[in-house]
Amino acid sequence: MKRRALILSGLGAAAALVVGWGVLPPRSRMGGADTLPKANEEFGLNGWIKIAADGSVLLAMNRSEMGQGVHTALAMLVAEELDVSLAKVRLIEAGPDKLYGNVAMFVASLPFHPIETEPGAESGTVKTGQWIVSKAARELGISVTGGSSSVADAWDVLRLAAATARAQLLGVASLQWKLPLEDLVVSDGVVSHPSGPKAHYGELAKTAAATPSGDVKLKERKEWKLIGTAAPRIDLVAKSNGTARFGIDVRQPGQVFAVLRHCPMLGGSPAVVNVDAAMKLPGVERVVRLGPYAGSTAAVAVIGATYWHAKRGADALQIEWQAPPAGTLDSAKIMLALEAEARHAAEHDGGFAFHQRGDVKQAAAAAPRKLEQVYRAPYLAHAALEPINCTALVKDGKVELWLPTQVPGMARALAAQVAGVPASAVTVHVTYLGGGFGRRLDVDFVGQAVRIAVEAGGRPVQLVWPREEDTTHDFYRPAGVALMQASLDAQGLPVALTITSAGDAITPRWMERALPALAGPIDMPDKTVSEGLFDLMYAVPNQRVAHVATRSGVPVGFWRSVGHSHNAFFSEAFIDELAFEAKQDPVQFRMGLLKHAPRYAAVLKLAAERAAWPGFGAARALPAGRARGVALHESFGSIVAQVVEVSLEGGKPRVHRVVCAADVGTVVNPGIVAQQMEGAVIFALSAALYGRIDIEASVVKQKNFPDYPMVKLADAPRIETYLVPSTRSPGGVGEPGTPPLAPALANAFFVLTGKRLRELPLVV
Amino acid sequence: MELTINAQVRVLDDAAVDPSMPLLWALRDVLNLTGTKFGCGVAACGACTVQVDGQAVRSCVTPLSAVAGKRIVTIEALGSTDKPHPLQTSWVAHQVPQCGYCQSGMLMAAAALLAKNNNPSDLDIDAAITNICRCGTYPRIRAAIKTAAAALRGDAGKRPVAKALA
Repeated sequence: MKRRALILSGLGAAAALVVGWGVLPPRSRMGGADTLPKANEEFGLNGWIKIAADGSVLLAMNRSEMGQGVHTALAMLVAEELDVSLAKVRLIEAGPDKLYGNVAMFVASLPFHPIETEPGAESGTVKTGQWIVSKAARELGISVTGGSSSVADAWDVLRLAAATARAQLLGVASLQWKLPLEDLVVSDGVVSHPSGPKAHYGELAKTAAATPSGDVKLKERKEWKLIGTAAPRIDLVAKSNGTARFGIDVRQPGQVFAVLRHCPMLGGSPAVVNVDAAMKLPGVERVVRLGPYAGSTAAVAVIGATYWHAKRGADALQIEWQAPPAGTLDSAKIMLALEAEARHAAEHDGGFAFHQRGDVKQAAAAAPRKLEQVYRAPYLAHAALEPINCTALVKDGKVELWLPTQVPGMARALAAQVAGVPASAVTVHVTYLGGGFGRRLDVDFVGQAVRIAVEAGGRPVQLVWPREEDTTHDFYRPAGVALMQASLDAQGLPVALTITSAGDAITPRWMERALPALAGPIDMPDKTVSEGLFDLMYAVPNQRVAHVATRSGVPVGFWRSVGHSHNAFFSEAFIDELAFEAKQDPVQFRMGLLKHAPRYAAVLKLAAERAAWPGFGAARALPAGRARGVALHESFGSIVAQVVEVSLEGGKPRVHRVVCAADVGTVVNPGIVAQQMEGAVIFALSAALYGRIDIEASVVKQKNFPDYPMVKLADAPRIETYLVPSTRSPGGVGEPGTPPLAPALANAFFVLTGKRLRELPLVV
Repeated sequence: MELTINAQVRVLDDAAVDPSMPLLWALRDVLNLTGTKFGCGVAACGACTVQVDGQAVRSCVTPLSAVAGKRIVTIEALGSTDKPHPLQTSWVAHQVPQCGYCQSGMLMAAAALLAKNNNPSDLDIDAAITNICRCGTYPRIRAAIKTAAAALRGDAGKRPVAKALA
C-alpha cells in the first residue's frame, strides 16, 4: 500500500469509528453563553469569555503554563480584540468541555512534507487529511498543551470569541443609547460616544449575552495595539516573590504526603515488601502497593505526615524486587540493534518511507562519489525542576485533583478509572508547571496518586517523587541511529540522499498508555520518528527517507522538540559534511540548496549577518582559538537558524555566543519568543554536552543532577535572538529553538578541531 | 523547637519535627511556606536556597538542629508587595522567569551575593549562582543581578552621558 493511501485510510477509519461521517463539517469552537460555570456578577458570552461586573474579562484558560508564556500570549489575543489592557484579563479554569481540545496539534501530526502543506498550495491529499483530522480532533476534544501548538490552535478561535464578545457588548450600548454602532469607541473596556454616554463592559455584559453580535470582523493587522508587542508576562511578579503556586505547593486541609519507590528495574515489580522498620518511624502512616499505571513501573508508596517522614519511611522499606517478565533492557545493546536495523533497512529498501522523490538507486549508480556516515543519539530524561507530583482527594464517590499536567482530560479519565467513579465525578485543577518539556504529557503519577488517595481515608494526599525516581523512571527521549548516505556529482554536490533511521516510535506507545481508547491494534506511522529527516527542504533531487520503528521496551516519551531533537543533529551535521565535501562554505552551500525556499534562506541569511559570518554583513574576526558553526532547521511551523561560537578552555568546550534567527510566523509577543529561544538553546546545550541515560540490566544508571548534569549560569552563552518579519499564521515557539543547537555546535567543533562528532552527547 | 524565620519566632511541635529534619521540609510541609522549592534533595540544584544569618544555604540538606537560634530568611520575606527587593524589580524588568520554579532559590542566592558585594563581576556572579534552571534563564539572571546591583549602589537610571552633561 502506498504511504498516502495507508495514512488516509487509517485516518478515515479512525475518524469514522470515532465520530461517524454524519456530523459535518467540523463544529464551531465558540461555545454557548452557558458553557462556563455560572457565578454571581459574572456574565458568560461564549465558551471562552465571561465579563465580570467590574468590567474584568474572564478568559477560560485551556492551556498549561509551564514557562512558555502561553497564559500571557492567549490573554493578549483576547485583550487585543476586546480592546482592553492585559491587566483587565483574568484567567479562569477551562474545565473538561470538548470545546477546549487541541485541534492544531493533531493536524500538525500528519506526516506531510512542508512543501505539501504550504498555505494556499496544499494538494488534495493534504487538504483531505487535514480536514479529517481537524474534524476528529474537534469531536474528541482532547486538551493538550504540547507540540508548540497553543497559539496556532487559539489564533482564530480566541480572536473570534473575543471579537464576537466585543460586538455583542457594543451592540448593547448601541441599542441602549440609540446611537449608531460605528460611532462608538472603546478604550480599555470602556465604551463611549462622543456625545457623552459611557459604560464599561461590566455594565453592558448582562444584556450582551442575549444580544446578537451582528457582523463580526477581526481587527486588521495595522489596527493591533497589543499583538506584536513585548508586553510583560502576566505571571512573572508571582514568579519573583514565591507566591506562584505549582503542583507541589498545593496545600489542602488535612493533607498528607506520599513518597514512592519504583522497582529499580524498568517494568519490574515489588515481590516481597517488609514494612516493619518503616512503620516504626514517627510520622509514617501507611504503605500502599502500586501496580503499573499508564506505563509506569510498579512501586511501593509510603504515606506520611510530611514529604520527609514519607521519604524516611520509603527508604526504610525492605523490598525484594522482581525482574520484568519481558527480559532485561540494555541501552548499549539497543544502540547496536538500532544500527543493525538501519543498515538492514537501507540495503533492502526497508522501514517506512516517509519521503521519496526521484530515483535514489539510479542516481547513486551514476554518481562518482559517495559519503556514508552513522549518527547516534542516546536516551534522555526530561529532568523538569519541579519533581513529579499530584495531589488527589478521593471522598464520597468524588475525586479532586490538583496537578501540573499538560493533559488534564487524560488525568481525569485515568483518575476516574482508578477510583472507580465516572469521569463526571472527577474535578481537575491545573496548577503552574515547574517545567514540562513533554514529561507531563504522561499521567502515570496521576494513577499512582489516586490509588494512594483511595487508601488515605478521605484526606488529600500529595504524591511527590524523589528526584532519583524521576531520573530513573521517566518516559525517555528515544535513542536513535541514522545511516546517512549521499551520492555526489563531479562537483561534489549531493544528487541523492538516503536516510535510514531506527528507533522506537513514541506516539503509539503514548496512545496505549495515556489514550487507550484510541490506540489501535497496529501502530500507525508516527511522524515524530522521522521529523527532521523526511521533511528537509534542501533541493536534493533524489531522496529516500525511511524509518524502522522499533519496540525496545524502554518507556519512551515526548521530549522538547521530540524527533527533531536528535534528527536535526543527524541531518544538519551531515549537511555540514556535504558542504565540506563540496568544498563550500557551510552557509553558502545551504543557500545554494534553498533557492526554491526563500523563507528558509531568509532565516539563514539573517543569522549569518548577525553573527558576522564571513561573506555576510560586517566581517568580524573571531578571537584566536574560537570557531563558528551553523545549523538551520524547521520544526512546528517555525524555522530557526543558529550560529554557535565555541572554544576549548582547558580541554573543555566553552560556548561563548549563540546567534539565533527565526521565522515563527506572526509574532504575538517578541519578548516571549526571545525567552523561548534562549531557553531552548540552553536546554539543548545541556543535552548536547552532557545528556545521556544509560540502562543496564533494566536499571537506569543516572540518578540525580550530579550524574545527569545541566548547564549552569557560568557555562551559559550570550544568546541573541532576531526575528524575520512574517504575516503567516503563528508557528510554534517553545520547541523550535532546541533542534539546531547540537548540530551547530558539532559543526563548530569540526572547524575548531577537525574532528567530526557524530554521536550525542558531543565528547571533544 | 523554636526557629526564627522571616523575623518571626515560629514554634514547631516537637511531635511534628525532628532535629534531623531538613529545614526545607519544616518550611514547606509544616509551616506551609511553599515559596522555597524542592528540586533534588542533594544540594545540587539550589531550588531550596534560603538565607541563614545572611548566607545562602541549601535547605534540603540543612538539618533543623543546625539553624536553631539563627536568622532564617525565605523568599516570602525577600521583599514585599509595596517594597520589593531591587532584585525582584529587576527580575520583572528583565522578564527573567519562565516556568519560575527555580527562581526563589535564584533570588535568595543572588540577594546573599548582593548583600556582600554590590558591584559583582561576571566571575563573582558565576561563583555565587550555581543553581540549576531548566528553562535556561541564566543570561537574564546575570543581567538582572547587574541591574539590581546598580540600583543598590544608587546608579540606577544614571547614564554616564547624562552625568557628563550635568
